[in-house]
Amino acid sequence: MSSVTQKSTLVSSAPPKRPFFDWRVWTVAGVLLVAVVLSIFLGLKQHAQQGFFGMRLFPLKAAYDFKLTGPNGAEVRLDQFRGKTVLFLFGFTHCANVCPTSLTNLADVYQALTPEERKQVQVVFISVDPDRDKPQTLAQYVTSFDPSFVGLTAPKPTMDQTVLSYGASYEMVAGPTNEPNDYSVNHSAYTYLVNPSGKLELLYGNEKLAEVQRMVSDIRAVLHEPRS
Amino acid sequence: MEAEFLLRSSCGCTKGIEKNLLFDSELRALCVFVVKFSRLSAIGYLLFSLALVLGAPVLLADDQVAVTVQRPWMRAVPDVMDTTAVYMVLVNTSSTPAELVGGSTSIADSVAPMITTKQGEGTKQTLGMQSVDSLKIPAHGTLILEPDGNHLMVMGLKEHPKEGTQVDFTIKLEPGNHEIHFKIPVSRRPLK
Repeated sequence: MSSVTQKSTLVSSAPPKRPFFDWRVWTVAGVLLVAVVLSIFLGLKQHAQQGFFGMRLFPLKAAYDFKLTGPNGAEVRLDQFRGKTVLFLFGFTHCANVCPTSLTNLADVYQALTPEERKQVQVVFISVDPDRDKPQTLAQYVTSFDPSFVGLTAPKPTMDQTVLSYGASYEMVAGPTNEPNDYSVNHSAYTYLVNPSGKLELLYGNEKLAEVQRMVSDIRAVLHEPRS
Repeated sequence: MEAEFLLRSSCGCTKGIEKNLLFDSELRALCVFVVKFSRLSAIGYLLFSLALVLGAPVLLADDQVAVTVQRPWMRAVPDVMDTTAVYMVLVNTSSTPAELVGGSTSIADSVAPMITTKQGEGTKQTLGMQSVDSLKIPAHGTLILEPDGNHLMVMGLKEHPKEGTQVDFTIKLEPGNHEIHFKIPVSRRPLK
């Protein structure tokens, strides 16, 4: 009797031959597949959220500490803004197209931040045309876009050093008349983002500045980065 | 071309009458408007009247060039600036290529077509602007004047265009030495 029982147990413990379309196997496989696809998708989404709209520099290096002339003639250094996120760009006030466009966009970005965030952000416009852009004129120019904006300039040697340090470029181009004051300035139109630790972190081509919400999320991400 | 056809057939405008109308773009626009009113759907009518409200004039030239001005605006600039820029979309509805050769306004000394130039790469890339004799509006095509791109530069400002106001403005087109007069809104940002 017992031997019969044992025999039957042995037979039943052998793996039963499952049909190929066993619904249990396929259900498990399907659930696993959905889980894998979902986790990849969510992972990518998170990656995209962490990515920056601006061109991120790596490794981050200390931004060149420019020493320029401020609105009342006093020296203004980049390092004075340590603790704030600084967005700066090169231009000149006689620029009728690109500079007002960039500054209007930056004003929109700045105003889209919360009042608390605004205290931690400084927009700086650097004029590469010191002969025509006196500090007072420059101050009136930049503050008309936003009262918080700062305009800086410097005599040519200092300006050239600053422009060179940021891999930028500018060039005076004579106008149609031969008047000495009739010239235009071709200049780099990138906006540089220096993080609160004084490191140059992000670059924006002028066309990117119109994307206000994406600029704002970049600035927020920088403001919330752990300080090194 | 289509607008011109409508004008002739529905208003009964003969070639002679059209000649007389040539220098009165307001009447011309009105004529087209009446035609459009009767023909277009409600949405089309709304859009068209909106375009009229925004001050977009219509030009129909006797040498078959038909150019429409859309969404024109002049940039409100800081008081310290003696230049500004004007942007718009020019639509050529005819089969003749046209050219924007210049413009004028009572608030400034001169108006000139400009292109934006780019030299170099990356951060070294410089943007500049260059005066050109004309900007082309291809047959059945458009010319877009926009921030950071092609524009009409307004030089020697005699008074400052204030945000929310309108300024008289004229653009000059070739062939045919045509002028389109209109009021242009002044704004700090592109008009939606």
